Amino acid sequence: MRLARQILLRLLYGAVSLVFICFVTFAAQSLASGDAATALAGEKATPEQVVALRHQMGLDRPFPIQFASFMAGAVRGDLGKSYFGQQRPVGDIMRDNLPTTATVAFCAMILAAGIGILLGTLAAIYQNRFADRVVLTVGTLGVTVPNFVLAPILVYIFALKLDQLPQTWEDPLRDAAWKYLLLPVVILAARPTALLTRLTRASMIETLSQEFIRTAVAKGVPPLRLYFKHALRNAILPVITAIGTSFGFLLTGSFVVERFFRLPGVGARTIEAIQRRDTPVIQGGILITGALFILVNLAVDILLPILDPRIREAQV
Amino acid sequence: MGIAFLVFLALFAIFGPSAGGGITETKWGAFEFPSSRHLLGTDQLGRDVLARVAYGARVSLAVGITVQLLALVVGVIFGTIGAFGPKWLSVTVMRFTDGMFAFPDILLAILIIGLFSNSSHGGGALGGFIISGFLPVVVALSITAWPSFARLTNTTAASLKDREFVVAAKALGAPSAYVIVRHVLPQMWGILLAVSMVELAGTILAEATLSFLGIGILPPYPSWGSMINLARDDMVSHPLWLLWPCLILSLTIFALNFVGDGLRAILDPRRK
Repeated sequence: MRLARQILLRLLYGAVSLVFICFVTFAAQSLASGDAATALAGEKATPEQVVALRHQMGLDRPFPIQFASFMAGAVRGDLGKSYFGQQRPVGDIMRDNLPTTATVAFCAMILAAGIGILLGTLAAIYQNRFADRVVLTVGTLGVTVPNFVLAPILVYIFALKLDQLPQTWEDPLRDAAWKYLLLPVVILAARPTALLTRLTRASMIETLSQEFIRTAVAKGVPPLRLYFKHALRNAILPVITAIGTSFGFLLTGSFVVERFFRLPGVGARTIEAIQRRDTPVIQGGILITGALFILVNLAVDILLPILDPRIREAQV
Repeated sequence: MGIAFLVFLALFAIFGPSAGGGITETKWGAFEFPSSRHLLGTDQLGRDVLARVAYGARVSLAVGITVQLLALVVGVIFGTIGAFGPKWLSVTVMRFTDGMFAFPDILLAILIIGLFSNSSHGGGALGGFIISGFLPVVVALSITAWPSFARLTNTTAASLKDREFVVAAKALGAPSAYVIVRHVLPQMWGILLAVSMVELAGTILAEATLSFLGIGILPPYPSWGSMINLARDDMVSHPLWLLWPCLILSLTIFALNFVGDGLRAILDPRRK
């Protein structure tokens, strides 16, 4: 019962965050110079035509009403139309590009979580020994080297010198799709992997020094079972929270990686839109990415009390 | 060692850009190899790479330090209000700060730049530079940077609030503003400085990211991020030109983290 209430509360909090993101994206637009009507009417339009178009688009209504209709549209997936080209609906553009971004981001997330937790646990078990030092050094490098520095290095090695993987996305694809996505996923995963490794290590070391571990050792629990069942189960909780937050790095990283590899994703589309000053597409891109971030964090928030009886018992 | 590198970087930023004929001079051949005139060679338009890397250092430090100062001022004010202000105000301010954390940093910066930057060129040397992305970048990054200072100030100030010397000063009848300025804030400069070192690394990285994406500092002014983006096109034939901006950017971020963590270990009372 208490668990259900907690989940409900978190869902509510997630919904509030989503509305907040919608509000920020919307407010930013109305503060920006030049409005949609002027942009859509084109350069040859007379002032009267612009005013008429503004009325037709509802841009002369009071701010709260405009926001309400923007929200209502966003809920139905209607995010307005692009200013350029065939003026495609932004919802369609996002629907075309979201799968690439989501695939790359989630693969990177899974890769980062898997490797990070495994390496962090190993480093904690062999604390201050050689293996630990190696993991720590690589981890520090992973945090300091930016992904757009790592990207050219890896492309240079794997695509140019070894000639194993394609350099950038091509249309149409000449090879299996996973070969095109492998490098982007690895590069995107680098920073979260390093962060999660360091966090798992710290959390594991703290857990291993606690009394119930000593009890388990005294009881004669075999080492593997001790580390991966008793200790990791307790140490992993802060790591799971961090997976949620580092998903934010991942999404911003996907802007860089998509541009570097010319992937057809939301990030690349948004940057293009910024350079062409295509406001609805910018809004759509930021809105979709922000919503993705909130949904992942919501999932983490809901998962935590299920995994950890202590949080479940605590009052919110 | 980290400090030595940062001093070197600052000197490099001040004196470097005039080396080898300046940042936009193109009268030499493209992709010249390193020589006595061009210590790091020239790029695809025949511009001196050393001067451009040095100018990139100037851009990074200028953006980074301006942003940190702005964020520090705003963050300290908001954080102090959160700790000492009337209840309704402090709750509003801190909820707003929490809300800012819900938005991924660079995403917000991209949104701000996307809607406000003016892509037209013109004006004098400095005016051109400011229009070419400096102002939007600084504004966008400051807006994303202040919440962490606000939160830090808030928690530190809240923990100082009930300490004897603050209570004593209040008991003697000192006005709140006087207590805050004379007794509370001086306790915090150390930890704020250490954190802003680490945050400075984040800001420089963010500027480079935006410039790499082509929406930060705009050409002809060089930034490490945009240099990496440019050099990428020729990495097949000229990998060396990609190396310099990558190397100096990574070293800078590493040095700042290193110095900041060191300072924090010395100054942060919680870590003792």
